[in-house]
Amino acid sequence: MSAAAQGQRAWLVAAVVAALILPLFVRSNYLLHILVMTEIYVVLALSLNLVLGYAGLLSLAPPAFFGIGAYTSALLALRLGWPFWAGLAAAGGAGLLFAAAIGVPSLRLSRHSFVIVTLSFTLLAQLAATNWTDLTRGAMGLPGIPPAAIGLPGLGRLVLTGKTAWYYLMLAVVLAALGAFAALVRSRLGRAIVAVREDEVLARAVGIDAARVKFLAFALSGLLGGVAGSCYAHYISFIDPSLFDFYYTENLLIMVILGGAGTVWGVVAGAAIFNVVPELLRIHPELRAFLYGIVLLAAISAAPGGLAGWVRARRAARAAEPSRA
Amino acid sequence: MLAQHIVNGLVQGALYALVAVGLSLVYGVLEVVNFAHGELYMLGAFGLYLLFTWAHLPYPLAVILTVLAMMAAGLGLARAAIVPHLRRPFEATVLATLAASIILQNGARVAFSATPRQANPPLEDVVVQAMDVAVTGQRLLALAAALLAFAALQLFIRRTRAGKAMRAAAQNKDACRMVGIDVGHVAARTMMLGAGLCGLAGAVVAPLYDIFPGIGTTAVFKSFAVVIMGGLGNVPGAMAAAGILGVGESLAGGYISTTAKDAFSFILMILVLLVRPEGLFGRRVRV
Repeated sequence: MSAAAQGQRAWLVAAVVAALILPLFVRSNYLLHILVMTEIYVVLALSLNLVLGYAGLLSLAPPAFFGIGAYTSALLALRLGWPFWAGLAAAGGAGLLFAAAIGVPSLRLSRHSFVIVTLSFTLLAQLAATNWTDLTRGAMGLPGIPPAAIGLPGLGRLVLTGKTAWYYLMLAVVLAALGAFAALVRSRLGRAIVAVREDEVLARAVGIDAARVKFLAFALSGLLGGVAGSCYAHYISFIDPSLFDFYYTENLLIMVILGGAGTVWGVVAGAAIFNVVPELLRIHPELRAFLYGIVLLAAISAAPGGLAGWVRARRAARAAEPSRA
Repeated sequence: MLAQHIVNGLVQGALYALVAVGLSLVYGVLEVVNFAHGELYMLGAFGLYLLFTWAHLPYPLAVILTVLAMMAAGLGLARAAIVPHLRRPFEATVLATLAASIILQNGARVAFSATPRQANPPLEDVVVQAMDVAVTGQRLLALAAALLAFAALQLFIRRTRAGKAMRAAAQNKDACRMVGIDVGHVAARTMMLGAGLCGLAGAVVAPLYDIFPGIGTTAVFKSFAVVIMGGLGNVPGAMAAAGILGVGESLAGGYISTTAKDAFSFILMILVLLVRPEGLFGRRVRV
């Protein structure tokens, strides 16, 4: 193992240990709530990161898959009494299926048309959630979604109600998602996804089925979005059509772009920073959205590579220094 | 009943066309999808509300001032979010205009609150009856204004030097730069035209409905369907598709359900994309 890889592994272990002991130092329920929301957002940000950062597809649909996952597992739990894990799997499956259904017509289009279709899909999902009142109760939303319950052999059912329990459950989900994500981007498929992003014509010339690769990336982003949505629904216990608001798309774009699209840790940092800082500043939601717009505009103009791009540039500059001296 | 639905649909189509034509024009000339385009319509609607309903200016003057103000807003938007990013990867303009949309929409929420308002335009109480079709004067005015605006736009694009520069920029921007056409100027002018059309829509069509900060989102959602169906960048295609969508929605709303009306545009868009990914009226960019 190279020194760089060893260093990376040490950082990773330190980060996981820090995440594991963090609740011991956080006594306030409010702060724990922000941490749980951050964990949910990390999973959702990974979903956008996969399509935008790795596949180079600007998809505005992740909040739609998030909402679809939330409604799927909420309805299954409320109407049919499905347990949490089954609902979680169904939500991921629903996200995957909807992404596949939208991916077929939209991935053949020009890049601009793709953006438009994915945005329209999110708006349509909101329309459906608002107007299909027999199923979703419309704007009244779905209250009383049961908390996650885990059946442990010998210990009976463990019902997760406290914030600390949720923190650890979500930590497990986040680590699983991160692990799967890291494995994916290092796999043959992951390298093919990046190759298509960098130069589609060249990728096709070396035998990569570009259409299939993009489709898989988009479908998997739907899966991640659905999983995040299911966790959100069971954690908050209430959902309504505002879940599909453009506000969430905006939030996500800021986290992924400012964190550094196409990197893993940059996006995790972006999700953490943009969950914690605005909460601590306690700004009115509309004013916050307004300020976020300005932050996004400034970021696009000034720092297109995001936090990770900035760090990489600094590191490259530092590495170049000795040769100059 | 059928004739009534078709007339209502045509008025609705005029609104979609006024917003969508600007969107398609900007794409045709600049290859930029302006995601803040709907907000220009929303600002136009609030402009009219402030000038006419609040400040009690005469209606025609309020309409003209709204259109001029929106042209200025279009110029500002072009300077802030489009021209600086023209030579960068396509995500830059998408995200910059999305950011501008967020800023404008939430700025309007902070400034005007989310309360729906009624502008009560003067011709709303005049009802024109022909056979079994009843139309308010305001609806007829909206339809007439849209048709007049499109005639003027076609004349401008075909007959003036500025219009010629726009068509040139649509074909080849590098060649434009070589012969001394300032593409940045063309971009600004195109945005002003598109914004003016949005202002007109805000001044004559928006008063038919409630005015609130979210109306731009709905308008742009429908306009996206229109420009995709008409072919991105194809201006006459957008006009035709807007008419088809308006009438189709009105029929779906009248004979199926109001939810069907709103979902109709998206379903039609997906169907068109499956059959003809380049739009109903061909791939070629036509300005």
